[in-house]
Amino acid sequence: MSAATATPRRTATRRVASAAARRRGRGGRVGAVVAVVVIGCFGLLPVYWLLVTAFSPTGDVFAFPPHLVPRHLTLSHFDNLLHTPKLLRYLLNSVVVSLITAALSVIVSAYCGYSFAKFRYAGRRSLMYLVLASQMFPQALLLITIYLVFSATGLLNSYLALVLSFTTFTLPLCIWMLKGFFDTIPDELIEAARMDGAPTRTIIHRIMMPIAAPGLIAAGLFAFIRGWNDFIFALTLAGPDRQTLPPGLVNTYVGEFQTAWPDLMAASLVTSLPVVIAFVVLQRHLVAGLASGAVKG
Amino acid sequence: MSTVGRFRRERGDRLSNGMVGFLLTVPALLLLAGVVCYPLVSGLVTSLFKQSLVLPGRSFVGLANFRSVLAGDFWPALGHTLVFTVCTTAASFALGFGLALALNVGLRGRSVLRGLFLFPWVLPSVVVSFLWLWIFNANYGVLNGLLMKLHLIGDPVAWLGQPGTAMLAVIVAKTWNSFPWMMVMLLAGLQTVPRDLHEVAALDGAGAVRRFRAVTLPHLRPMIGMVLLLEMIWNFQHFDTIYVMTGGGPAGATTTFAVSVYDTAFKGFDLGSAGAIGALWMLILSILVVGYVWLSERRSA
Repeated sequence: MSAATATPRRTATRRVASAAARRRGRGGRVGAVVAVVVIGCFGLLPVYWLLVTAFSPTGDVFAFPPHLVPRHLTLSHFDNLLHTPKLLRYLLNSVVVSLITAALSVIVSAYCGYSFAKFRYAGRRSLMYLVLASQMFPQALLLITIYLVFSATGLLNSYLALVLSFTTFTLPLCIWMLKGFFDTIPDELIEAARMDGAPTRTIIHRIMMPIAAPGLIAAGLFAFIRGWNDFIFALTLAGPDRQTLPPGLVNTYVGEFQTAWPDLMAASLVTSLPVVIAFVVLQRHLVAGLASGAVKG
Repeated sequence: MSTVGRFRRERGDRLSNGMVGFLLTVPALLLLAGVVCYPLVSGLVTSLFKQSLVLPGRSFVGLANFRSVLAGDFWPALGHTLVFTVCTTAASFALGFGLALALNVGLRGRSVLRGLFLFPWVLPSVVVSFLWLWIFNANYGVLNGLLMKLHLIGDPVAWLGQPGTAMLAVIVAKTWNSFPWMMVMLLAGLQTVPRDLHEVAALDGAGAVRRFRAVTLPHLRPMIGMVLLLEMIWNFQHFDTIYVMTGGGPAGATTTFAVSVYDTAFKGFDLGSAGAIGALWMLILSILVVGYVWLSERRSA
């Protein structure tokens, strides 16, 4: 862009226009604030209610009409969670499976993304779009065969079954995200290393991967979130002793005669905490990755 | 790209070894082939057989599964899927676009607000479902409490117990979960609209509505087309929220394709029928996607 030549005219235009905008802008600003407040209430009040329910004593939670502002706060529901051994088991399963998923996903998609970014070979573009398209197929349909195969190989109810299926569905986004990252690393770096006689293996492991570390971390966090949040595969492929938190919560709380809502909200909060933390760390990368257009959590 | 750069690339100074490049993709391709491609083909083939989830063996039955599915579960599931998809996509687009436009005015703390509003999107779908189940709860739910306080309803409503309101409840929950993503995408799109164009249009006396239609919308059209298409595909296949909140009920009123395939296979053990519904489901989705792309290309031409 030729910024230097355009600048004087542009600032002049801007000065006149901003005067006009100021005259007109107040109505727009009020409208914007109203829209942010209204949509913001829809977006954030449910989160508020989750917190209120999780921290209120049981008596207050089941008061009707409900107390919109909590009168007493308590940690007793979180204490109940600690005394529910199967929840701790689900938590352990979630941690193990999501961490392995994140690690495996980063390794597999780093090589693939690097290949897509820095190599040229026949069929590369078709492969790239095939990878992207693979997230468009209905998982409930895929699950039929996946279940049969894991059942036949004795892998049902194993960490491996969960890790393999979670990892696969993180690949489209992670590969495209990392391809984008490697694209920004100049080829001259590779050429220079090549001149110095470095083999491809060294170039990848000693030069490219360290430079791409922020991208690798972002992809890993995304894969972690994806694995942690998964419901349908964990529900179907794992029994009680290998199930992760999302189906575990359904098994623990749904279908009881009277649902223990405050305990369930406390458990929901605990289940959400790791992904919220991962998201806060990831936000900058994720928003960029989102805008590149290949995502769904 | 400069001629020198292109020349260098063709000469192959840039990593020339295509075979090494391909080998690096093999682990990813193996996973995708094993967990996506093979199950897809195999699932579709199953639709031609009579096969149980729990018993070994299967027998070829031709199109019998399709005939029985088309005479039964298919049409209600199609209706529910379309209602769910269209309403959820439209509602999350309206909210997401409205919020994106409002945040684009340049309010203070925009990036903080954007991060805050993304929370509903990042929560596990199961948590989203539980939270809205609790809000919609007939006896103690905060929604009934609020509406009664405002004297909008006299008696508590059993939102999840009636067909119409149960569908409404899952649509609201899924919309809450999706609109933040729409907002982020559209806000990113809005920020690429050149300011100069707006300013020139303003100098020419174009009002806010006029500038929105003449400057903002044309710039944003590709982005809008993409987010609507992706959101439509995802909602068409959505399973988690519906399954946890209603299990497809009451009386099958929220049974979409995803729930129908899952229940037929994993509760009814009837893999042939599940495969047949799945095949029809993919067919309809392909028709919708192709139709959508065709329409939007014709419009932009």
